[in-house]
Amino acid sequence: MPPGSARRLPASLVSGAAVLLALGLIAIVATPLVREDAYRVDLDSILSSPDWSHPLGTDGLGRDLGARVLCGARISLTVGLMAAGLSLLVGLPLGVIAGYCGGIADRIVSRCVEAVLCIPSLVVALALLAAEPRWLGLLPDFLRIALVLGVTGWTPVARYLRAEFLRLGESDLVVSARACGAGSPRIVARHLLPSALAPVLVTAAFTVGASILLEAALSFIGLGVAPPTPTWGGLLSEARYHVSRAWWLALFPGLALFLAVLGCNLFGEGMRDFLDPRSARRP
Amino acid sequence: MRCSGRPLRLFPAWILLVLAVACSRAPETARATRPLRAGLQSYPASLSLIGNTDRNSEMIAALITEGLVAYDARLGVQPRLARSWDVSPDGLTWTFHLRDGVRWHDGAAVTAEDVVFTVEKVRDPTTQSRSYLSQFQDLVSIEAVDPLTVRARYGTPYADALDSWTLPIIPRHRAGADPDLLTGEFSRHPIGCGAFRLKSVDPGREIVLEANDGFWEGRPALDGIVLRVLPEERTAFEALLLGDLDLMSVTADLWREAQVVPRARRLARFVTYPLSAWYIGWNQDGSNPFFLDPGVRRAMVLALDRTRFVSRVLSDLARPAVGTWHPDSIWFDSSLTPWPFDPAAAGTLLDESGWRDSDGDGVRDRDGAPLSFQLMIAASSQEMTGRIAAWVQESLAKVGVRMTIERLEWKAFQERRSTHRFQAAMASLHFTPIPDQFELYHSTSRGRGLNYVGFRDEEVDRLLVEGRRTFDSRARLEIYHRIQRRIHDLEPISPLFHFASPVLHDARLEGLEPSPRGIWLIEPGPRRWRWAPPPGGD
Amino acid sequence: MILGVCRRLASGLVTLLLVSWLAFALIHAAPGDPLTSGSSEDERWFLTLTTEHQAEIRALYHLDEPLHRRYARWLQDVARGDLGLSFHDRRPVREKIGERLGTTLGINLVALVLTGLLALPAGGLAAWRSGGAWDRLSGAVVYALYAIPAFWAALLLQIVFSVKLQWLPLYGLISDGGERLGILARLVDRAAHLALPVVCLSYGGLAYLSRFVRASLLENAFGEASRSARARGVGVARLLFRHGLRQAALPMLTLAGFVFPALMSGSVIVETIFSIPGLGSLFTEAVLQRDVPVVMGLTLITSVMTLVGVVAADLGYLLADPRVRRAPG
Repeated sequence: MPPGSARRLPASLVSGAAVLLALGLIAIVATPLVREDAYRVDLDSILSSPDWSHPLGTDGLGRDLGARVLCGARISLTVGLMAAGLSLLVGLPLGVIAGYCGGIADRIVSRCVEAVLCIPSLVVALALLAAEPRWLGLLPDFLRIALVLGVTGWTPVARYLRAEFLRLGESDLVVSARACGAGSPRIVARHLLPSALAPVLVTAAFTVGASILLEAALSFIGLGVAPPTPTWGGLLSEARYHVSRAWWLALFPGLALFLAVLGCNLFGEGMRDFLDPRSARRP
Repeated sequence: MRCSGRPLRLFPAWILLVLAVACSRAPETARATRPLRAGLQSYPASLSLIGNTDRNSEMIAALITEGLVAYDARLGVQPRLARSWDVSPDGLTWTFHLRDGVRWHDGAAVTAEDVVFTVEKVRDPTTQSRSYLSQFQDLVSIEAVDPLTVRARYGTPYADALDSWTLPIIPRHRAGADPDLLTGEFSRHPIGCGAFRLKSVDPGREIVLEANDGFWEGRPALDGIVLRVLPEERTAFEALLLGDLDLMSVTADLWREAQVVPRARRLARFVTYPLSAWYIGWNQDGSNPFFLDPGVRRAMVLALDRTRFVSRVLSDLARPAVGTWHPDSIWFDSSLTPWPFDPAAAGTLLDESGWRDSDGDGVRDRDGAPLSFQLMIAASSQEMTGRIAAWVQESLAKVGVRMTIERLEWKAFQERRSTHRFQAAMASLHFTPIPDQFELYHSTSRGRGLNYVGFRDEEVDRLLVEGRRTFDSRARLEIYHRIQRRIHDLEPISPLFHFASPVLHDARLEGLEPSPRGIWLIEPGPRRWRWAPPPGGD
Repeated sequence: MILGVCRRLASGLVTLLLVSWLAFALIHAAPGDPLTSGSSEDERWFLTLTTEHQAEIRALYHLDEPLHRRYARWLQDVARGDLGLSFHDRRPVREKIGERLGTTLGINLVALVLTGLLALPAGGLAAWRSGGAWDRLSGAVVYALYAIPAFWAALLLQIVFSVKLQWLPLYGLISDGGERLGILARLVDRAAHLALPVVCLSYGGLAYLSRFVRASLLENAFGEASRSARARGVGVARLLFRHGLRQAALPMLTLAGFVFPALMSGSVIVETIFSIPGLGSLFTEAVLQRDVPVVMGLTLITSVMTLVGVVAADLGYLLADPRVRRAPG
């Protein structure tokens, strides 16, 4: 492509963004409208299959599933975004330090990365969610979960950034900057970070998807947000008990989850293709 | 299928392979009766029968060995290893006269020494005999007066001491040889004197029992029992439908499914109500301003339409509960009925307590503070817990009470509850066949008992102590009726439901009896179960 | 090179220590007493014990000692190869893990092999006819697969194959009486039970791996680097099999090193849903019961396996990409 010409936005980027925007809009706009239905108990129509009055069916207390899935969007997306943000907050500086400084710092950070990778997240989740330091207990449910996910989810960010900084650290750009006498912080801030920003954004997109899945997994084993607040993972875990009677309970929340994660992945991949066409060949 | 004897070279190899596989199938059992196959929720923590006990180990102990007495289906006490007993006039000494001629599975005679040994082991805290230790705390001494007589002396007269003698007895000459009962040889191959003996175990997976020919009452009708660990009830249910399992306790959802699934038509079914109640405890130790007033506590229950919940959601597999005495037991005061659904009355009670909605936000308040509290529940494999909590929340909102739900992991829940850091807590309560509920209601049971809510009432305290000391059953009945009435008035905890334990079984299995203790832990129980003879003879 | 490997192994050991200490601290940070497990009857029991008795039992499990002493004790035991006794049933931890290790490892290995078997042709075909219909279709499908949460897939598969179609069993490892069947029948039975769980574990890795195969083959067999070889008349098929795959194999192995730990943690949910008695369900139970020795033992074993995977991956990178050879982490 001739330099200077605008690059076409990849289809994946556009579609991913579209999906996410749609979900986000629904979460913000539609939720207040259906909130009542999501919590209204109707003992006469429990576990009823989809029909005109309840397009997605009802759950074990007669609550409209569609409304609950919509309300679940807000929590799941919020937790996902916060967890991803926290992961970035922790992983970014660590990755930069490891990649750029190398040596002892790199070794320490890499050990920490591996340790977190090895520690089963269930143990971490349990300790943080079940333990009762006073300040933690005051946080609302979803914040605590976001905290747990953030604390365990920063490893891919750090690894990725470390690899990027290792690569960039030996590039001509940095070598020449050093030759000109630029100090390290300046190099990092003015030359490296901007180029590394692209992968950071990409990683962020993937991390959001992963966090949404993790939150769902935690809800699935019962460590998630308390009832009756609906989250996609919580809805799926309820669906487990009605597998033989109510297939709609399993289908729709999972579909929503799937769309959200798909959107994040598409967006992330599209961004990567857009910002760095060379990496299209790396997975 | 006969294995052919023709020369090998006339057959291609693959046919041989198929034949080999077919011939390796185990032959079908040719006996008329087959073992009963039932499921266990989890493998017992220990097979030592009295150590580290849980529900499953109690069940197995009841099959393999015997206690001095046992409960029947109506919760009456029946003599087993002890053919009779007497109590001294001061109520402190119990003397048991053992049956003669009872033998352990290895042929040795059952004597009073075995009883003494078992009790001593149970009282050793390292045995972790959860189900039995507390019952022997007050025992001062126990001795074998002669090979068939046991004398037990207590520190205080306790009318329900007989309950502790359902303790499964283990042989001293075998279990006594192990330095550590929980990990020794006996815990791997326990023997007893019961109707069934242990045939084999597959640790973590399966326990196989076979009939004891030398059982003192005569060989049981079943040839054997196979207990398989099936932690997921769906798995067990599928096995039951397929005919791989003969007997199973199910939940409401599966029961409902069994009504419609064609494969389940051949199954017989009945319902038994175990000794448990699902309840909400209202913390009344003063740490919150809501639950000190019995009127408020009662109002909470009046706001719940339990009958409707039972019929719509629980498929009629539960009963609204009125107290923590089992409705099918002789101790229950049948003049008491569960609080009805009456939101108007609830509203009046709350008004009278000073809780009115003064600012029109839908939530009642008093002195500027809203009637808003948090219900603590435990995360569990029962999805029903969350549903009940959400239903309570909705119902209370309609009478102007705001409730939020806090779900904790089980251990965290226990910790918070035992340190009284909660406002309301919902859980299930398991009680014993005896009428004494000291640990639940006495004011001293707050720290060292189950009185988590801090209930304190002088009359109840007095009556509880008196009930323990009274040996005359008529007088006891009167005392416990009075206790129940008073507690019903004061409503310190609100029992919501008694959940039924429906049982599905192969229709050819006969002799099962429903009881509050379940189908396994009663007398005669599994000893009288039998397979119906096949029609037309065989 | 050797020095690099040694250093890498040493650093792995450091990580193991760090992991074990973290796990120890965390499991003790959670509230609850390992001695009062389960039901209210157990509560009754413990509460009615006298304080002396309670202290005795605590001492039995060394619960009266401070945290660092207990940790040191555990370390010493591990150094001797003793993983301790479970709090729950006093069985050796090694035994409890051993009887389940085979199951979990087996399922994960089968999933991995299945993934590889499917990813190679899928990615290869996509690379061969890159830009064509198969490439685009498989790319989209694989992409969608990647986004499906494992527990959703598990539930849907259960509904379709076990409830509606009734082709496959719903739960467990073997049918009732399965032990009495002949070898072939037993294998078939086992395969039927494991079909759904293995599918759940493998489709995610499939997405990842097939994309990687495609990318790697594009670069090595169909890309610029091999253009000269093709210009010399070497057939594409030949290139594919002799050079492309060989070059792709090494990165693929390192990728397997990454995928393996993900599989191990993914097993937890799949094992729970399908009621498979594997390490995942043992772990969940142990954590919920605060069975510290089992938790520590499992953490150790899964960490070792994860680290093996990671170290293998790193060494693979080392061999493949000379630029990253600087200061091995």
